[in-house]
Amino acid sequence: MKDFAPPSDAPHPPTVSEARLLSVLDTAADGIIVIDEHARILIFNKACEKMFGVTTAEAVGQNVKLVMPTEYARDHDAYVGSYIRTGVKKIIGIGREVQGRHADGTVFPLELSVGEAATPEGRQFIGILRDLRPRKESEQRLADLQSELVHLARVSAIDEMGAAIAHELNQPLTALMLYLQAIRRAHSRGIDIVTVVGDILDKAANEAERAGHIIQRMRQFVEKRDPERHVRPLDPLIDEAIDLTLLGQRHRIRIIRQTGESLPPVSVDPVQIQQIVVNLVRNAIEAAASVPDPAIQIRTLASEGSVRLEVQDNGPGIAPEALSKLFEAFASSKRRGMGLGLAISRTIAQNHGGDLLVDPGGNGRGACFTLVLPAAPVPDEVG
Amino acid sequence: MRVHVVEDDAGVSDSLALILRNIGHTVISHRDAESLFKGSVPEAPDAVIVDLSLPGIPGAQLVRWLLNLAAPPRVVVITGQSQGFIDHQLRGLVPDGVMRKPLDVDAIARVLPPL
Repeated sequence: MKDFAPPSDAPHPPTVSEARLLSVLDTAADGIIVIDEHARILIFNKACEKMFGVTTAEAVGQNVKLVMPTEYARDHDAYVGSYIRTGVKKIIGIGREVQGRHADGTVFPLELSVGEAATPEGRQFIGILRDLRPRKESEQRLADLQSELVHLARVSAIDEMGAAIAHELNQPLTALMLYLQAIRRAHSRGIDIVTVVGDILDKAANEAERAGHIIQRMRQFVEKRDPERHVRPLDPLIDEAIDLTLLGQRHRIRIIRQTGESLPPVSVDPVQIQQIVVNLVRNAIEAAASVPDPAIQIRTLASEGSVRLEVQDNGPGIAPEALSKLFEAFASSKRRGMGLGLAISRTIAQNHGGDLLVDPGGNGRGACFTLVLPAAPVPDEVG
Repeated sequence: MRVHVVEDDAGVSDSLALILRNIGHTVISHRDAESLFKGSVPEAPDAVIVDLSLPGIPGAQLVRWLLNLAAPPRVVVITGQSQGFIDHQLRGLVPDGVMRKPLDVDAIARVLPPL
């Protein structure tokens, strides 16, 4: 900029006429408000008229509180006064999100950046304002779509596990039916079963309860809910998800589970995190299915402000040509499923401020997926 | 009749034993194929009920071994798996009965009639 500054002894540079300045301000897409040291509005452009439902003629000369919701307005004079006295900048030179108020009373989010100019008439403050509602709306729409997709992937996972879950339900139902038929049979033959009937009924009730638990676990997983955040220890969530995944898997795989010591809790949507675990464990089981002694190792550990979950299989590893598309949606190499699992899992991890990483293995090593989640911030100590 | 039950699910195994005793059989329960091998070899006219999905040695392998014995016992397969899975597991094997879960007492009594 310096190079273009006119030499001090040159004649006055041509100035932009006030009329032209105002027309420039009025063509700006952003709202522009200029106020003086007393927070009185000097300039209020066309975009502001639309944004706040106030005409320029009405606005000019009034305190800028006119376009602020009451709680901001109350403190605004104090802010301006404090800045003029102390020079401590709370907003000047820093953009921030504030609230504006339309003449009809609607309060809405605004991005406000404030500059300052020294003029012969004293200090003036220039505010540039952008209505954040369109951006917020599209962000919300995106978040809604994403949560739909995350839910869809969960439903799809349960759908793929359907046969296994049916099998798992068959066990308690079989037991329940046989217990009841045993009582029925004894009863119809007039056999005295008084001494054992209570015991058998208890067992039958336990089996019914077991069937109920399977349904409950499944339902929690597929039910559609708004995303949420809870501070939780990670390991119990993982163990529950492993149980869900192993429904109907029938022991053909060795699960080596190692839990990290003194893991910090994480701030997560529990079902979404379980969704990642179910996906990783199912993939690992499938990957290891072809080797003679299929095994997967699931471990958690703390590392530098984050918590890591590693799921390692002893399968053949991931082929280099598959690696580049691994996290792409609908790019599955499997015959079943939609190929959403890893894409969604990585999205969930990133929405949590973490990530999902892969070591493809190969040459006799299985693949290892690592879920990284930031440790939940330690709450401030009271007192 | 002496009936061996090879089933790893505790609830299914217990209720099956109860109903089999109820219809007059003697029941010996095993958690898996390995523990069956530790005892005396079952032979005709005993019966063995085998769950297809066992931990360790697969159910189908046990069925094959039993059917190849010099005096094979009656072999009844039980399973909660799909027909496709059953067909795939039992390729070439013809057990005396295949019962799909959930089981009921009539089906059991048909395959292993009370003495």
